[in-house]
Amino acid sequence: MTFTSFGFLIFFPVVILVYYCLPGKYRGWFLLLASYYFYINLKPVYAVLLAGITLVTYAFTLLMARAKTEKSRKLLLVLDIVITLLPLFFFKYYNFVNTGIYSLLNSAGIRWPLPEISFILPVGISFYTFMALGYAIDVYHEEIKPEKNLGIVALFLSFFPIVLSGPIERATNMFPQFKGTLQFDYGKAVKGFQFMLWGYFMKLVVANRIAILVHVIFRDVDHSTGSSLFLGVLLYPIQVYADLGGYSLIAIGSAAVMGIDVMQNFNRPFFATSMSQFWRRWHISLISWLTDYVYTPLSFNLRKYGMLGTVIALMLTFLISGVWHGAALTFIFWGLLQGSFLSIEAITNKQRRSFFKKHDLVKKGWFIFISCVFTYLLFAFSELFCGPIDSMQKAFFIIKKIFSNFMSPLYFGNPSTIVFSLLGILILFSAEWQMEYHQAALPFLNNKNWIVRKLSYAVLIIIILLIGVFDGGQFIYFQF
Amino acid sequence: MEAHIEKLTTIFRQVFDDEAIVLNDQLTANDIGAWDSLSHMLMIAQVEDAFSIKFSLREINKLKNVGALIKLIESKSAN
Repeated sequence: MTFTSFGFLIFFPVVILVYYCLPGKYRGWFLLLASYYFYINLKPVYAVLLAGITLVTYAFTLLMARAKTEKSRKLLLVLDIVITLLPLFFFKYYNFVNTGIYSLLNSAGIRWPLPEISFILPVGISFYTFMALGYAIDVYHEEIKPEKNLGIVALFLSFFPIVLSGPIERATNMFPQFKGTLQFDYGKAVKGFQFMLWGYFMKLVVANRIAILVHVIFRDVDHSTGSSLFLGVLLYPIQVYADLGGYSLIAIGSAAVMGIDVMQNFNRPFFATSMSQFWRRWHISLISWLTDYVYTPLSFNLRKYGMLGTVIALMLTFLISGVWHGAALTFIFWGLLQGSFLSIEAITNKQRRSFFKKHDLVKKGWFIFISCVFTYLLFAFSELFCGPIDSMQKAFFIIKKIFSNFMSPLYFGNPSTIVFSLLGILILFSAEWQMEYHQAALPFLNNKNWIVRKLSYAVLIIIILLIGVFDGGQFIYFQF
Repeated sequence: MEAHIEKLTTIFRQVFDDEAIVLNDQLTANDIGAWDSLSHMLMIAQVEDAFSIKFSLREINKLKNVGALIKLIESKSAN
């Protein structure tokens, strides 16, 4: 079951109804049951893997607390990390490493083919693996006490709003909520429904519509013109944002309806004026996870090397981020690109700041606009290596063709596709503009006037039903 | 104590490139624009050098504000 499936339209209201009818102390257990039902619906056998990782995490965190020496605690942590990562490596990286070793041996004249494995990646594995690791490392660093109630750990790792694609939550945020009184909160529930509605708008109206166009443009890069490819490059980041951002809002919203706070995953990323600001606004739960568990320990160990240490830590962190997205050279290159962007900004930080200050640029509207556009273009071209194209060669071919064949006829498919895409983008960006510069809450849905509020809900639902694309395929991040 | 704060102020002003920084116990990264996860470790390394002390990662992770940092420096320097 996924958020855009018909089943969820029945599942979610039933869960909410039963959840609030039950006495408070049974609500957590019911959520666990509902979460496993939700996950089993995708493919029963993968639930075994989820349960396995849960048991490993539960056992090792308890053992760590009982260990007498620092050395045995560390050993237990390393063992836990290795065992937790094994399924991810097996499902995600086996074929990539296998092909690599095979071609290496082959070039040395040895033919030793290992069988290719064609399993489908268990949905959500990259997300709940990171959540499990984060919890174990937190226990090791004494940020949180190991949980003795297996149900809490199991619910944390399987919680249905976030199990498929995040946000990658932390035990320090979720455990106290699951252990506390799970109560109905009217304010939270209203906000939750608003987030869900806006999330569905982003996914069904914006992401799925743009996907039609982007798919055609990138499907046959030889025949697509330079200007069409440029349109594809420009649209793809918005598609990914509306897709994962929309998914995240539905996740955060459905948790909020149950009175549970889940961390924010995006913060209007396209209003960022630099790449470092962009990465504080884009896929926040992944980046903050990497910052805490990869970047900080790395930069701590490299701190005596000053800026060089920072650069090495940044490059390695984003390399891991690239590999996390997928096992391919394109993802590795994407990670190194992001690492380089951030390194250049870190190295030139002081000079840039003093230049901006000297010319009083920071608050100038035109300067903010140019900075946003420049940041967007950098990200858009780098995103070519993070999903839409399956080879480095093709990605470079596209970039070359955009610059050499720019003045060419533009393909935009069926007129309705481009019109509805642009309409969706316009609504999305206008709302975000309003939230970025004027008010924090979604405009219109939070208007003081009762009639405006109700009308806005109605209009938004009508827009989703009328121009939403309901057979637009799965969420992009399910493949990660 | 005063000498520690003075030394720390010099480091903060230099690393975060702002001569107007005045330290107080409640000050956090949210209060200083240039204090992010990148510059944080550069600052930590300079503090270690200036006070001839060594922090552990766990100690750094637990720091909540400048007050906690000053306390940690004091406890380390006293040894």
